[in-house]
Amino acid sequence: MSDALTLAQQGWPAAFPAVTLAHYLFVSAAMFTVGLIGFLTRRNLIIMFLCTELMFQAAGIALVAFGRYHLDFSGQTFVIFILTVAAAEAAMALALVVLLFRKRETLSADEWTEMKG
Amino acid sequence: MLHQALHLLPTLAAAPPAHADSGAAATPGGQLLMLVPALCVLAALFSALSGPLKIRSKIPGYFSVACLAGAFVAVLLTYLGHESGVKIAHGFEWITFKWGDGPGQALTGNFAFYVDSLTLLWMLFVTGLGALIALYSVEYMADDVGLGYARYFFAFNIFVLSMSCLVMADNLLLLFLGWEGVGLCSYLLIGYFYKKPVAVAAAKKAFIVNRIGDLGLVLGLLATFVAFGTLGYDPLFAMIRAGVDAKGAPIADSWVTDVIPLLLMAGAFGKSAQVFFYVWLPDAMEGPTPVSALIHAATMVTAGVFLIARMYPLYAADDDHMALSLVAWCGAITALWSATIGMSIFDIKRVMGYSTISQLGYMFAGLGLLAPTGAAFHTLTHAFFKATLFLAVGAVMHGFGGQLDLRRLSGVARMRGFGIVGLAMLVGSLNLSGVPGTAGFFSKDMILAQGFSTPASMIEAPQAIAWVLLLTAGLTAYYTFRAFFRVFTGPVEYLPGDDEHLLEHGRHPKGTTLAEWHKQHGHGHGHDHAHTELTGVAARRAHGRKDFDPTTEEFDPHPPGWAINASLVICALLAIAAAALYFVKTPHAEEGGWVGGMIERSSAAFHSPHEFNLLGITSHSAMYLVSALVGLTGIAVAAFLHAPKGWQGLFLGSRDTAATSRADALTPRLGRVARWARAKWYVDELYDWFLVKPLRGIAYVSSWIDKLLVDGLVDAAGALPARVGRVLRPSQSGVLHGYAAGMAGGVALVLLLVLIVLN
Amino acid sequence: MIDRIEFLWPEIALFVTTCVVMVLGLSRRIESRRMTALVTGLGLIIAGVLAARTTPIPGPRSGQVLLPELIPYAKVLIASVGSLLLLLQAGTVDRAEEAAIAAGQRPYDPLRTNRAEYYAFFLFSLTGLMLCASADDLIWLFLALELTSLPTYIMVAMSTGRARSREAGVKYFFLGALGAAVFLYGFALIYGGTGSTNLNAIHAHLAAHGLNLTALAGFILAFLGLCFKIAAVPMHFYAADVYQGAAPQVSAFLAFVPKAAGFISILLLTATIGWSYAADAQGPLYTPITQSAYDALEGAVSMGLPEPIRVFLWVIAALTMTVGNVLAILQKSVKRILAYSSIAHSGYMLVAVLAGPNNGTFSQSGLAAVLFYLLVYGVGNLGAFAVLACLEGRPDADGEPAEIEDVDDIRGLWKTRPLLAWVMTLSCLGLMGLPPLLGFFGKLPLFTSGLAAGEIVLVVILGLNSAVAAYYYLRLIKASLIDPPSDADLPATPTPFATRTLAGVLSAAGVVVLAFVGGGLMDRSERAARYTSMMAVAPPPPPRKTPYVPGDDTPFPLPIPIGAR
Repeated sequence: MSDALTLAQQGWPAAFPAVTLAHYLFVSAAMFTVGLIGFLTRRNLIIMFLCTELMFQAAGIALVAFGRYHLDFSGQTFVIFILTVAAAEAAMALALVVLLFRKRETLSADEWTEMKG
Repeated sequence: MLHQALHLLPTLAAAPPAHADSGAAATPGGQLLMLVPALCVLAALFSALSGPLKIRSKIPGYFSVACLAGAFVAVLLTYLGHESGVKIAHGFEWITFKWGDGPGQALTGNFAFYVDSLTLLWMLFVTGLGALIALYSVEYMADDVGLGYARYFFAFNIFVLSMSCLVMADNLLLLFLGWEGVGLCSYLLIGYFYKKPVAVAAAKKAFIVNRIGDLGLVLGLLATFVAFGTLGYDPLFAMIRAGVDAKGAPIADSWVTDVIPLLLMAGAFGKSAQVFFYVWLPDAMEGPTPVSALIHAATMVTAGVFLIARMYPLYAADDDHMALSLVAWCGAITALWSATIGMSIFDIKRVMGYSTISQLGYMFAGLGLLAPTGAAFHTLTHAFFKATLFLAVGAVMHGFGGQLDLRRLSGVARMRGFGIVGLAMLVGSLNLSGVPGTAGFFSKDMILAQGFSTPASMIEAPQAIAWVLLLTAGLTAYYTFRAFFRVFTGPVEYLPGDDEHLLEHGRHPKGTTLAEWHKQHGHGHGHDHAHTELTGVAARRAHGRKDFDPTTEEFDPHPPGWAINASLVICALLAIAAAALYFVKTPHAEEGGWVGGMIERSSAAFHSPHEFNLLGITSHSAMYLVSALVGLTGIAVAAFLHAPKGWQGLFLGSRDTAATSRADALTPRLGRVARWARAKWYVDELYDWFLVKPLRGIAYVSSWIDKLLVDGLVDAAGALPARVGRVLRPSQSGVLHGYAAGMAGGVALVLLLVLIVLN
Repeated sequence: MIDRIEFLWPEIALFVTTCVVMVLGLSRRIESRRMTALVTGLGLIIAGVLAARTTPIPGPRSGQVLLPELIPYAKVLIASVGSLLLLLQAGTVDRAEEAAIAAGQRPYDPLRTNRAEYYAFFLFSLTGLMLCASADDLIWLFLALELTSLPTYIMVAMSTGRARSREAGVKYFFLGALGAAVFLYGFALIYGGTGSTNLNAIHAHLAAHGLNLTALAGFILAFLGLCFKIAAVPMHFYAADVYQGAAPQVSAFLAFVPKAAGFISILLLTATIGWSYAADAQGPLYTPITQSAYDALEGAVSMGLPEPIRVFLWVIAALTMTVGNVLAILQKSVKRILAYSSIAHSGYMLVAVLAGPNNGTFSQSGLAAVLFYLLVYGVGNLGAFAVLACLEGRPDADGEPAEIEDVDDIRGLWKTRPLLAWVMTLSCLGLMGLPPLLGFFGKLPLFTSGLAAGEIVLVVILGLNSAVAAYYYLRLIKASLIDPPSDADLPATPTPFATRTLAGVLSAAGVVVLAFVGGGLMDRSERAARYTSMMAVAPPPPPRKTPYVPGDDTPFPLPIPIGAR
């Protein structure tokens, strides 16, 4: 028997009685998929980067939800670190995009297909 | 050294008769013998380096002579210090495979020497003759000073090194190393004139035929290890003396004493050119003559005899002596067989080659007839007199531009500067013919007499073998003196060989070999013919009835110099002196003189049975008479058929030209037999038809299978990855989104796969 | 966590060096700037020495309980190969700029030079790699992996001035972010399925409760994300383009550092799962067999990874080596050949990961095989890339020297640069796995461990692939050692950096020498692969938290009652 159930039996109010962990996970998975689809369909490098951020944060949502479900703080700690890494990645991405823009004057990913095979 | 020798001799004589092998364990000692391989390696390295160092003088030759003489001295000192028993000189650990701690679970082959009197006997003549013949080579190979010299003396020294390893080895593994080493050197030296196709073919033939024999030897080694769990002589002989194998089972009637001796015999027959395997030795005469003298007459070809003598305890341990019977019969048949060929061919060097095969047959017959002493004594005397003969023939060849046809040379001994050669040849011939009083007489006699003494219960039909050997003795005397009378006596006539051109203006240009010279002067085929066609029927067809012009105005025979003469004299003296060894009394043996003493003190000791005793006449005294009679008859026949008029021909002969003799009238009456014998009984052709051609056919078919089927399959298999690659290549489109889609698709597919596995 | 600092001294040393390097590289004095590489090397050596002196203490203080002796081996390996890589990096950045400053054409401008950043990134990446080896927590592992990867993106992009490097950088970065998102999501699911981010706790949980569906999905996603690091199918697409676009010395870096990070992480995760599952277990839950149960069965069951993960790794390994090799055959560019071959090598190593520790001896332990092969592969690959790094063509219009890249460009190397020809030959022979070179001794345990685990079909595929690989390696050898020089108008000239040649010669010598003195290394990798599974002992008490199993419809409490616990 989960602790959450115990809490509910002790009279603690569940905020949304119909909401279970599965709902949060669904949101997280949906966010991940949206990010992935965005990554695959958009050509603009900045948008593509934002899509990867979406995927990172999807994982973050899952982590927070799990942490809450387990009544454990590691999940939330993890999210803090993800945010940090995401910030670092954003800095790098923007620097890279600027570098590329200087060379080709465009942000389209399709411009970079010289090497293949 | 002399002082030491004089000091030691009395003690040697006074030593109590003890059989070295009767249970005495080996003791360490004889480290001095390590000097032998060391000196050989030193000489070989120096010779090899003289090539790149561009030393164009005889220095490498003299250096090798010095080193080999040093090796001989080391052996001699060891011999003088040797009384009885076995010493083991440990060099270093060579091969050790261990897969357990129990007996028979480790294969060790140390670089160590097994020093007993058998070893020393062999080493004495290997190093002694090695040094002498190296001296002879210094002059003989003078035309090739430079790179050829380096090559020649390198192989020569490596040969002596390998032979030493073979003889002195303390285990069969090191023996095998030496065995292969001498084979390699033989190959290198037969093919010394590598631009001559015949020489190359002969070298290959020798190598390949020897490989077949070596297969037997390797299998024999493996079988020995399986049976006894060791390859070292010391533990091996201890077990054989006890009559048990590693598991303690008796060996007298088991497979051990039947199979291993037969396998070793195959190896010995390959190296020593006996039945089935002998075909390589006559062709090996393509090598330089000193090589023929040392390797293909005196030492390497006796390795087979040594192997059987070394492993004699194993042979003798068999209850029915099956392997020894076979050895004896094969030896006798080889002796007769090659003697008939020797009677008919005209190339004197090949006559000596066949004679060597024949005499080796004698030695094997001696071993088989339970007379290891006789076999060893014959090996020793043969080493000296056959070396003398070869060196004499070589001197003739050297002097007459490679001429070897006995129909084109006459009266050589009477020519200026060839006296010593003639005398040496006479000494060698007398020995080979077994004329009473010579060393060859006594050694041959020991084998023959034993043949009549050995009971038929021990060896299959020993008397029959002895009769065959006796007949061979007569034939031997005939062909030996045929060559002697034709070439060395009679009117002085000569037709130089095809090398004459080289000698027209003295020496040919330095650094070029004979074959090169011919190429430059447009005589590319000439030299080869001198050796091949003139020996057979073809020569008669080509030159048959033509009268030879006995002289050539430009040609000047080239008499041997001091080095050749000195070697000849020493060899001839040794050949004579060897007879004295028979009369040396030793406390170790009742008969056989010095060699008997040596053998009786070694692992090959065997108490030969004596049954023949008629009216107080032992087989030995009977044989003295009979074999003397047979030998002298052979000489008389040779004199009648081939000798010139007058005292030179013992007043029997009538020959007055080089080309013809009384035998020419006689030969047609023999019909086809003479022709067949001259064609060496077509054995080479037989092998060609029944072995070489079928094998070549199989090889041809296999090569086509390989080309069409195997290569085709390989090509097809090789094309498959490239084909798959071409299919996959579009996935590497270079487009970022394509890659991302691939990755996402991959993730999706994998998750799908896991789902499938789960359900 | 402060207990563990004694295991982090190498990383701390590297970090301090990084700080020094960042300052030193910006110095106005050329002498100080030149010191940058030297200081980097010094830091690496210090880190290596510190790592070698680390003595693993059994117990939770060492961080990892599962692979307690991995840390010293992995860090010394990283420091050594890192030092060789450093030799190769000479003159990668700022070559034209420094030449211009030296010629007095323009004054020193800290904004235009990249030396400090470059070496700092180099060190950061190696630090990340070392942290991977020390990781005992999913958070730690994630951060270490990101620290390893992020600098390499920039290193690729800035390695040359050509557009190709930019293209390589953008492909690498974006696909890398996608890969990172995948394994991050995997980590989240592992956490959800087991209730902990600590690897030891996860392992204990799995030992007690088995592998549930959420954790299984998490592990699969994590492996898939890590496949990007090791360039395995289906995440391999980037490798060829990125290796080709980057400068050869950076490609050499990429071929070792992220790959080593990936493999160390994969080893940690597989060790967490454990190789103690019966092959014929059915159902959604996979519970490991305890040692006592296994002993009771008298070895009647074969043990390994849970079946879905085994099948997954099997397929990935087979596909990776095959795809890498068949694509390598078709290439003209040496860099692309080496890139595809590096994909193939990942496939080989995955076989050993799949095989697991077996009885723990060097010939049977797949973990030891992977750890040893990392060294073998790192040394061999470095030599091959070093040859390319030592050669360049004529400068183009921008003053950037043309790259020596095609197989035709290295034709006849034996005539012009015999030393490099031999380096190429030995490296390729080593990578081929030809006895008696190091590659052979590296490859052999891959085979034997696979056989010991009973993966016969996979080992056959491995053998076939090795044969295919021989084709392109021999092509490289033939070009450099046998073919006559090409008469193209692009003669390869040596780069003016002796240390690059030194790196090549050292690694070629390593391929030969280490093969003969490699016994000690094998012993070390065998020790490093010591695997202590809790499944061998009695299962620990069940954890307090209930794992999430799909289908759980427990109401989700919100907000958190303060002090509820």
